[in-house]
Amino acid sequence: MRRRALWLALAVGAGVALGLAAVRYATGAPTFEYGGETYELLAPAAVGLVGVTPLLFFALSLSLADLPLAQRWLGALLRALLIACLALALARLARSTDVTRIATVFLVDVSESVTDASLEQARARVQEAWEARGEDTVRLVTFASDAHVVAIDDEEGVPALTRHEGDGGAGTDPSAALQLAYGLFPPGHLRRAVVLSDGGQTRGDLLAEAARAAEMGVRLYAAPYAEGAPPEVAVTDLSLPERIDVGQPFPVRAHVYSTTATTARVRLYQGDTLNGLDAVRDVELAPGDNLVEMRSVVRVAGPVTYALQAEPSGEDRFADNDRFSTTVVVPGRPTVLYVEGTPGRATYLAAALGAGDYEVDVRSPRAIPTSLSELERFDFFILSDVPADQVSLTQQDVIERYVRDLGGGFLMAGGESSFGLGGWQGTRIERMLPVHMDSERRRDQPSLAIALVIDKSGSMNGESMELAKEAAIATAEMLSPDDYISVVGFDSQPTRVVRMQSARNRLGIVRDIGRLTARGGTAIFPALDMAYQDLVVTRARIKHVILLTDGQTQESGLPELAQVMRSEGITVSTVGLGGDVNRALLTQVADVGGGRAYFTQDPHNIPRIFMRETSTVSRSNVIEEYFQPRVVSPTDFLRRMDISSAPFLHGYVATRMRPSPAQAILVSDLGEPILARWRVGLGWSMAWTSDVKNRWAVDWLRWSGFSRFWSELVREHMRQRRRQTLDMTAEVTDGEARVVVDAIGVDDEFLDGLESTLHVEGPMGRRAADATEPLDLDLPLRQTAPGRYEARFDLPRFGSFVLTAEHHREGRTIAESHAQLVNPYPREYMTLEPDVELLARAARLTGGGNDPTPAQLFDPGDEHIRHHEELWPKLLFCALFLFVLDLAFRRVRLFDRKFRSAPSARDRRR
Amino acid sequence: MELTGLSLTEVLTVLGGFAAAVTVLYLLKLRRRQVEVPFVHLWQQVLAEKQSTRLFSALKRILSWLLALAAVAGLAGAMGDPRHEGASADGRTTVVLVDTSASMQATDVSPDRLGRAREEVTRLVEGLAGDDRMLIASMDATTVPLGPLTGEARVLTDALDRLAPTDVAADLGRGLRFAHDVLRGEPRPRVILVSDGALPDPGSAGARLREAGVEVDWIPIGVGGPNVAITAFSVRRYPLDVSRSEVLTELWNPGEDEASIELSLLGDGEVIDVQRLRIGAGERLRRFFTDVSGADQTLEARVRIEGDVPDAQPADDRAYARLPERRRARVQAVTAGNLYLSAALLLDEYLDVVEVTPADYPAEGRFDVTIFDGWVPATPPDTPVIYLDPRPPEGTTGPFVITGALERPFFDRLERDHPILAFTALGDVNVAESLAVELHEGDRAIASDGRGPLIVVGSRNDHRMVAILFDVRRSDLPLRVAWPLLLLNSIDYFTMQDARYLSSVETGEPWHLAVPTGTEEATLVAPDGSEHPVPVVDGRAVASGLRAGFYHLRTGDTEEVFAANLGPSDEAILTPAEVLEIGGAPAEAPERGTPGVRTEIWMLMVLAVLALLLVEWFTYHRRLTV
Repeated sequence: MRRRALWLALAVGAGVALGLAAVRYATGAPTFEYGGETYELLAPAAVGLVGVTPLLFFALSLSLADLPLAQRWLGALLRALLIACLALALARLARSTDVTRIATVFLVDVSESVTDASLEQARARVQEAWEARGEDTVRLVTFASDAHVVAIDDEEGVPALTRHEGDGGAGTDPSAALQLAYGLFPPGHLRRAVVLSDGGQTRGDLLAEAARAAEMGVRLYAAPYAEGAPPEVAVTDLSLPERIDVGQPFPVRAHVYSTTATTARVRLYQGDTLNGLDAVRDVELAPGDNLVEMRSVVRVAGPVTYALQAEPSGEDRFADNDRFSTTVVVPGRPTVLYVEGTPGRATYLAAALGAGDYEVDVRSPRAIPTSLSELERFDFFILSDVPADQVSLTQQDVIERYVRDLGGGFLMAGGESSFGLGGWQGTRIERMLPVHMDSERRRDQPSLAIALVIDKSGSMNGESMELAKEAAIATAEMLSPDDYISVVGFDSQPTRVVRMQSARNRLGIVRDIGRLTARGGTAIFPALDMAYQDLVVTRARIKHVILLTDGQTQESGLPELAQVMRSEGITVSTVGLGGDVNRALLTQVADVGGGRAYFTQDPHNIPRIFMRETSTVSRSNVIEEYFQPRVVSPTDFLRRMDISSAPFLHGYVATRMRPSPAQAILVSDLGEPILARWRVGLGWSMAWTSDVKNRWAVDWLRWSGFSRFWSELVREHMRQRRRQTLDMTAEVTDGEARVVVDAIGVDDEFLDGLESTLHVEGPMGRRAADATEPLDLDLPLRQTAPGRYEARFDLPRFGSFVLTAEHHREGRTIAESHAQLVNPYPREYMTLEPDVELLARAARLTGGGNDPTPAQLFDPGDEHIRHHEELWPKLLFCALFLFVLDLAFRRVRLFDRKFRSAPSARDRRR
Repeated sequence: MELTGLSLTEVLTVLGGFAAAVTVLYLLKLRRRQVEVPFVHLWQQVLAEKQSTRLFSALKRILSWLLALAAVAGLAGAMGDPRHEGASADGRTTVVLVDTSASMQATDVSPDRLGRAREEVTRLVEGLAGDDRMLIASMDATTVPLGPLTGEARVLTDALDRLAPTDVAADLGRGLRFAHDVLRGEPRPRVILVSDGALPDPGSAGARLREAGVEVDWIPIGVGGPNVAITAFSVRRYPLDVSRSEVLTELWNPGEDEASIELSLLGDGEVIDVQRLRIGAGERLRRFFTDVSGADQTLEARVRIEGDVPDAQPADDRAYARLPERRRARVQAVTAGNLYLSAALLLDEYLDVVEVTPADYPAEGRFDVTIFDGWVPATPPDTPVIYLDPRPPEGTTGPFVITGALERPFFDRLERDHPILAFTALGDVNVAESLAVELHEGDRAIASDGRGPLIVVGSRNDHRMVAILFDVRRSDLPLRVAWPLLLLNSIDYFTMQDARYLSSVETGEPWHLAVPTGTEEATLVAPDGSEHPVPVVDGRAVASGLRAGFYHLRTGDTEEVFAANLGPSDEAILTPAEVLEIGGAPAEAPERGTPGVRTEIWMLMVLAVLALLLVEWFTYHRRLTV
């Protein structure tokens, strides 16, 4: 008994050792080569089960079996082998082997562009392959914008193919279907995919996916639908000219595609209403693309949306693609600011410019803009017959900056209050004009004697006195050498500051004027009388007094003195400074004296008033004679008109051309400038020295070319919008809008570092039934390359969209971009003809072909695939065989040499 | 119960065959050894016991037979690989979307994020219950399954081996749509995202998934680390002065600490510029390199964080660009002598100009562009053409039917967006006279007077055509910069040289790359040297690539180099997301199974048979069975 226990312990020990050794060996080297094939244990720990085999041999030692020892040992060996087989099976012995089984996935397009007949043909085709599959595998995927796996029943075969619900059918994404198919190929099968489609993909890229499929070992076959396109009419494009001008008719071109010969009624909408010029038309549609051209006109600037609606008379599968809308931004008419000194006479030029397609804003001098932002909206500024004292320094500054910095066009038109006559000499505006306000001809004019009577009372002390002296000096400088001047200063007593003398002695006059000092009271009469005494003895054709005072005076006799002076040919004008002057008295003196009364609160106006007054009284700058302007510099706007046919002008203000680059365009018979221009900063500054009214230009108003002349003149010189326009393009791909701005400056440099914002608005011209919220997005544009900015955004809506981008640098807008984006309807409805070539290319790329038969599909040819085959079923079979063999060895005695068979019945009878 | 191995018929056949064999063997009567015993009383004793043991022997024989049959049945049944009938109906169906986008190359966890993701998915596979099925897919710009939907652990781990990193931004929406397609109609559907959470908004795909009752789980990967990324790198030649180019490099530090970096610019593989910069936390820093020289073909930018802390994301530390190539164009100028034309063509050093008189036309050789100045041949040449004042000789027809002349025309209408008119100012050009012509269908007037066209583009003889309908010598156009620009723009228009050239393409996007005319096949050589045949459609090769770097496109004897970079994305952000919102609800941590619980019935059956065979062996040798 102890001996048996010892054997049992030995057997168990041996079994444990054997099992551990086997496990260790198997886990250390689970892969091995044999006969050119690779074998592997997937669960190597299970080989430890061979540890039970020593127990088999232990059992032999206890055996009561009536078998020879050798046979018993053979039986034990067989049983050990059997257990080894089972252990290997549980250890999942596997080998890599070449197989030729084929798995085919049919990818069936069930999108809305596919007819029901095509679907039935596709089902039949898949069924045919299903029946012919044999040992091979067939799977089915239907796809539109998404992909579904469809189960095939073993008995009932391929089910009827149904379309995808919801929006899933309004798109075709064969690449998504192919990606889904990758997950349906069972291991150890050659991979085939068959695409049954019309080839009209709306998402993804089948060719790129086919390249990936080839790398993944999938051979793609194409089976385009044989069924032709269903009866369909679609508006595929609606195009408008690149540039549309308000009021100018233009063609609207629509492309209407039809799969059959049919007729349709097309309606063109402008906004929500039918197009005025050409709204409804019945058209014959031939199979294919048809061009329909209609005419339209835009009356109001801004974004305008056109939509073409087709109403086919025959069958039409999709309604969504019967309407196509597009939006265009029509630029507004140029705007002219026309400031007229005598507004009642502004109608002539305003009407002429209006006929030339301009918006004209006529204003009086009081309404001249005082800020640049207010003036910025105008493209051209005409200042006609307005005296300088009605335009403040601030307004002059704004006008100058408008021309210089914003590139605005400016024209001063002549008249009795314009140029020198309006006191513009020495002003900012004069410096901006291409002409000087004095004239070469003044020396030929009759002489002028002028007396300046200047209040030098204590109240004038300070800036007023200095400006009065400046005005006196300017007056002296305006005069020609043949003119005469005297200056009388007064407080309570008059003082002859400058005795009556020729203006030629400028230095002495200026020096004497400079001695004027303010002090004392105010007594006008003696001073005016002193001036009268000086003038009355002076020989001059024109004798004039300018009286300046800032104080209250109740003196009597002044009107009477003025009347006496008037009778002696001496005129008197008065200038009241400040709010304390006796306006009634000064006005009366001026009226009686045949002059003009001026009142100002701002002492800075005094010089201009003096100059204007001087010009007015001298009348030296006014040329009133008939003449025909002569072209001396042909400019673009004059090329298309014959100026020689223009009527005579009746007069103008004499001026003198500035040196080059000032350019005289029209001159008078005397060679004096009538029309001149030059560049000031970014803009044009022009001088028209005749007028634009019914005085000097009265014949021109009746001239047929009057409107064209002014329209063309303004067009050429008006502000070109200084905001640079940068190219912007936009397109929609796979439901994503991609916007690109190319920012290249005029100097060929890339515009880098811009802060750009994109505004998206739309869909424009939505139908009333469309209850969805319109899109109104602001997006940043990101710089992706030198001079290149991009934005991307999802665009789930259909229609036309207006894109506007503003480009800022250092907080200032320096450029803008405009584009339209049309996403008329789902791309699925654009697919009107099968794209057989796309499917064929994709198939060729993977080594596949077109229209495969089941035999071709399931023919592996030379192809095979390395497959990982688990061998446990074979090992179990082997174990079964060993078991039966083991039993057989028990039932049949093999090795017992002493065995004698029992005597047969015949032997017993013997 | 259903059989997934041998069919029931096959199992029964195996069972029947071996059972029959066993039965036959048990019908055989084993001949016993004949033992002669000399004592009669012993015989009598034996004969007396024989009656009592006969019944027991018969029972023992039947028991043995039944044991053998049980073993055979167990093995035959195991070969059928039986499964529970409801295995595929009750088990959980899981789609594992493994983020393989660029951010998953970060090394903030060991070995890297993708390696960690692989480990996580391996644990998921090990925890699958017997009836569960899983599909593993890689998710970058597209989502591709790496294997079938299966419960086989081996197949799933094989699929994991195919995971590979890409230099592409992830498209979560596409990934979720794919998962939705796979899980439609499947029992207990679940999506597990294995990602760092640096994912774009999936749009409506998340909501659709939730509505379909799909559980969405997330295994976050990564802990975050310092990273400075090159988020834009491109080079462009100036439109007019094509000899000069400008480079944009945009750097981004999405981290929370300022960093000192070294930015290197390599031209054709050699370092041409190195800059040391500081970049603040969250700062985007743009550097422009103007007048870059030292490179003919390729540019590469590299960024490195200086100091002890390494950059945790190597994928965005390099960017690539291809310098736009200037192709030489051969131009045939057919003119009786026009100094303005000759002078304008001399301005571009990349033009090989051959001048011939009309009498000597055509010149020998092949040309990319032909210019006819004041003369038109009877048949248009087999090249793109620029016509200047196209007056055909008498008896021949030119490119247009001439209907008269326009006196003193002006450029009233200009298509300023047309590439031929780029950078030109024609508004005040003076022209003495222009031809009045009838346009062909497809012709387009890009500049015109109100009375008729002045510059027309179209095609003749299947080649592009530009016609300037006046004699430039009778205008002041040659005195302006617009004249050479007009000519050179036209030649560029013909030779497809576009100022909008992009120096790199985006990884993960379909690329449409221009190839020489007539090319039908092309081969794409990836940065790793692998070659891929690509189709050519409408003169462009359609390709795609997932790794950044320089690619080569072989077409016949020619080979073009182009660069690919990661497109605009947030892949540089290494700080993992705290919450991943999908369809309006946060993705939860997945419920993990217990590793090793997978049971397969055939294995149990084999173990049972093994035990049975051991028992049978011992009972046989102790004569309990026979």
